[in-house]
Amino acid sequence: MFRAIILATLLTAAHAIASDMTDADAIVERANLASYYAGADGRSEVRMLIADAQGRKQRRQFTVLRRDVEEGGGQQFLVVFSQPSDVRNTVFLVHKHLDRDDDRWLYLPGLDLVKRISAGDKRTSFVGAHYFYEDVSGRRPSDDTHELMETTDEYYVLKHVPLDASSVEFASYTTWIHRETFIPMKIEYLNDAGKLYRSVEVLKVEDIDGHATVTRSRVSDHIGGGQTDMQFRFISYDLGLSDDVFTERSLRSPPRNWLERSSE
Amino acid sequence: MKNSIIRLATEKPRVVYAIVLSLVLVTAALMIRLEIDTDPENMLPPDQSDRVFHNQVEDRFVLHDAIVVGIVNRNHDEGIFNVDTLTSLHALSESILNIEGVIEPDLMSLAVADNIGQEGPGTIRFEWMMRDAPTTAAQAESIRDKVSRLPLLKDTLVSGDGRAAAIYVPIESKDLSYPISQEILALTESLQSNDEFHVTGLPVAEDTFGHDMFVQMGISAPLAGLMIFLLMLYFFRSALLVIAPMLVAMATVIVSMGLLIGFGFTVHIMSSMIPIFLMPIAVVDSVHIMSEFADRYRPDKDAKAVISEVVGHLYTPMLFTSLTSAVGFLSLLLTPIPPVQIFGAFVAFGILLAFLLTILLIPAYIVRLSPGALERLASESKTAHTETPLARMLRRLGRFSMRRGKLITGVAVLFIAVSIAGISRIEINDNPVRWFKASHPIRVADTVLNEHFAGTYDAFFVLTHSDTKATEGFISEAQALLADIEEPYASTLAEQLGNSSDSDFYGAIIATADDALFETGDDNSMAALESLIALAEDAQSASRYFQRPDVLAEIEGIQAALDASGYVGKTNALPDVVKVVNRELRGGDEAHYDIPGSVPAVAQTLLQYQSSHRPQDLWHMVTPDYTSTAIWLQLKSGDNQDMSNVIAAMDDHLAKHPLPAGVEARWAGKTFINVVWQDAMVKGMLISLVGAFGAVFLMMTLLFRSVRLGLLAMVPLSVTILGVYGLIGWIGKDYDMPIAVLSSLTLGLSVDFAIHFIERTRALLRSTGSFETTSQQIFEEPARAIARNAIVIAIGFTPLFFAPLVPYITVGAFMAAIMALSGATTLVLLPALLSWAGGWLFGGDVGRSAPSPDAAATA
Repeated sequence: MFRAIILATLLTAAHAIASDMTDADAIVERANLASYYAGADGRSEVRMLIADAQGRKQRRQFTVLRRDVEEGGGQQFLVVFSQPSDVRNTVFLVHKHLDRDDDRWLYLPGLDLVKRISAGDKRTSFVGAHYFYEDVSGRRPSDDTHELMETTDEYYVLKHVPLDASSVEFASYTTWIHRETFIPMKIEYLNDAGKLYRSVEVLKVEDIDGHATVTRSRVSDHIGGGQTDMQFRFISYDLGLSDDVFTERSLRSPPRNWLERSSE
Repeated sequence: MKNSIIRLATEKPRVVYAIVLSLVLVTAALMIRLEIDTDPENMLPPDQSDRVFHNQVEDRFVLHDAIVVGIVNRNHDEGIFNVDTLTSLHALSESILNIEGVIEPDLMSLAVADNIGQEGPGTIRFEWMMRDAPTTAAQAESIRDKVSRLPLLKDTLVSGDGRAAAIYVPIESKDLSYPISQEILALTESLQSNDEFHVTGLPVAEDTFGHDMFVQMGISAPLAGLMIFLLMLYFFRSALLVIAPMLVAMATVIVSMGLLIGFGFTVHIMSSMIPIFLMPIAVVDSVHIMSEFADRYRPDKDAKAVISEVVGHLYTPMLFTSLTSAVGFLSLLLTPIPPVQIFGAFVAFGILLAFLLTILLIPAYIVRLSPGALERLASESKTAHTETPLARMLRRLGRFSMRRGKLITGVAVLFIAVSIAGISRIEINDNPVRWFKASHPIRVADTVLNEHFAGTYDAFFVLTHSDTKATEGFISEAQALLADIEEPYASTLAEQLGNSSDSDFYGAIIATADDALFETGDDNSMAALESLIALAEDAQSASRYFQRPDVLAEIEGIQAALDASGYVGKTNALPDVVKVVNRELRGGDEAHYDIPGSVPAVAQTLLQYQSSHRPQDLWHMVTPDYTSTAIWLQLKSGDNQDMSNVIAAMDDHLAKHPLPAGVEARWAGKTFINVVWQDAMVKGMLISLVGAFGAVFLMMTLLFRSVRLGLLAMVPLSVTILGVYGLIGWIGKDYDMPIAVLSSLTLGLSVDFAIHFIERTRALLRSTGSFETTSQQIFEEPARAIARNAIVIAIGFTPLFFAPLVPYITVGAFMAAIMALSGATTLVLLPALLSWAGGWLFGGDVGRSAPSPDAAATA
């Protein structure tokens, strides 16, 4: 889901690996799995606080359901809004594919309207936040070239350059991937002028069902000012979500049983 | 006082020189702190309520001053929608984004605009309008088709005829607009494009004006000084005589400007004219002394004694002319415009300084002259002017005025009537862009861009909703629920209920209650929390007033009224956004270009708008809490009059369609602010003029110890002011800022002439006892002095005609008109009045006429 949000997974075996990794692609692959593929499926409630440069705030609250079609491969996401009440039950459905463009749908209850959203550009704002749509479903590792710049005590520091520069707004980005959890703890995006304009930071990681999971993160806009804080709660993995949760039918009638909090 | 000053000047000339020189050097050194200020906003005091609101609106809607760059293609069949032009536009936009001081996220250009459209049936597409420059004609035309579907871009980023495109370049500070506009111009030259490029916008106009003004001050003021010097040289034929007044003038200008800058005042367009105003006034008094000295001095006399006598004798009239002129300018303090007040105060100071410098420097200068130089001075200046064409013409004029007194008076009355009719035709109007000549690149850009686009001038009509009753109602209902909620949630909620001004007020309460609901096990708490959430959600939804479809329809009505006023090129507002997104969500058919029917539908439409590359664009139109919204007006003209007409049209509309309860409307924007300060200026100037008129009349009455002569002294300045403003009305010149301050100048200079004329007339009457002799003698030296002064000042300012900036040209032209008119009224109308009312006016001063009782009392 969101870059490094819910689903950071890590096999306990990983801790056993004592030696440094030196293959950038392999590190990215591990980070991708840690960030987006924890468990076979998962759920999380997300609270977003979007602040502009003057500190004026907007809130969004939604529940995310995810199912991996294939570990490290295709995935399905269902995003259902609960706050503010004016946009309650607005739903996004995403079928992520590695070999072709994603399928995306939108349901707007106020207009009683189901729309497909063109796959065209995934680097647009996600409902006004400083997060992008691509941050939700994850950027394909194959879209960039990766280079290991430095290995510190804690992090693998990698630089990533897009293969198709015209499809993105950044010239490159740098990630600080935690050596044990493989969660990218910080990502900095540079524009064509080489200026840092956007960053993503992980503020808190918790162990949930054995998966190192991001529970707080922040995206900052270094040019316009402002930031979006995200908080992930009521996280659970391996719920046994089935394929039919992620169909167009769920847009108009979301699967209530999975969306409600289980009182654990 | 008077005598000790004269003694100091004549006994210790070197000390006087040293004091004046060091004063000049010190104040000249202060000038390095010079700071130019061309921001018309500063015409209003910082705490003026419209200015405060304007700045609040700029913060609230994240609005910046913007430079407008236009690209025009007149030849291609598709206008700007061809590969070459769009490639230039794209490259230019990218380069501008890299300029330091440009606010990147808010730049507006096709190259960074977002598009929302259809991609096959049932599929909506969000994309950059023109992420990369097109490479084929088909791509270029597809951009045209997309733009034509986006009302927010049409006529704003691309002209309706497709011939021009615009880039709006928001800048961090107004002071940067000149350098940035120069950088942009350089970029356009390096593009090697066949398109036309234009750069304009109010901040550029203002900053460029500041730049040109600086150049102007460096060139025109010294040129005017040189011109005055040459003219005086022509009249007096003596460099020796003329140098001294020039020294006085220069010292006055330097000390006044140095002190103004030294005190930390910025040099505004008004204060930049101080040297031009002070120069003639400073010269005038010393010319009187020098020429009278030249008249009286004989080689066998002691220069020190003669100059002491001359200064002693001219001291009172000079003091009074200086005081009255100073009062004329000090009256500007009654105008609530800080730059005008500073201007008035420093010109007044300069006038009094010039008086002091005159009575100090001139005697010191005289006593330092060698006997040979003194003799040359006396002989050169005496032969010079008794038999010149001017002298002969003045004598004829005097005879004519005395003989045709009643006719002239009749003509004057007619002139006044015509002038008053002219004044009633005066159009009050200003536009900072018109401060440039029509040929100036900024004016050209302004004309071209406003031909193509909806307008490059901005105003904002801001609606704000507040319903404190609803908020208070929610708070008290919520507080009632707290009793059933367990701790620590109740305390947290109680605290949050106190933050009703926070943008996240309801959101924070809902979040806390939501968390508490999950964590608590208490049934009472759960029930209360659920009620609280429902209550807060309802209150939140209701507080987002400008998401309501009926309210958006109300705004559409206001937009329609503005569009119908005929003065607005285009309005851009929240309903436009909602309608476009709604249309595209519903399949793109024009039939769906409307506002959806429910609050959630509008909210969800806007949520989609925010899913673009530029979600921040929404906050230029509405605040994140949806309690305030701005309608952006694009005006084709920055004329205050046009803006006033828009305001009047809106007042009209609101009178017929009152705003809903709780909604307040207010104007903001640069074009509006210009109207505000101009109104304040016009009203303030009237008060200033009335105040100065009264004060000068009192002083005249006091000086001549006669109400009648006091009234007589007011005649030239009254006729001149009426005449000058009548002329402005008849020729259709707009009453703008420079025109407004001319009244003080008129007052100050015209009264000088009258004082000298009346004072000399009375002295001659007393000594000769006859009107006839007096009227002959007054048209000798006194009339020549007045005429010379008028001519010197009028012609001395002709270099201003070559100024690149219109206000200076205006001042130059009207300076000439004022001099001509006040010189003429003094030399024609005053003698004409004397010819039939002299006995009554001068009473006891005339030997043969029967003294009237009060004249005898005052004599």
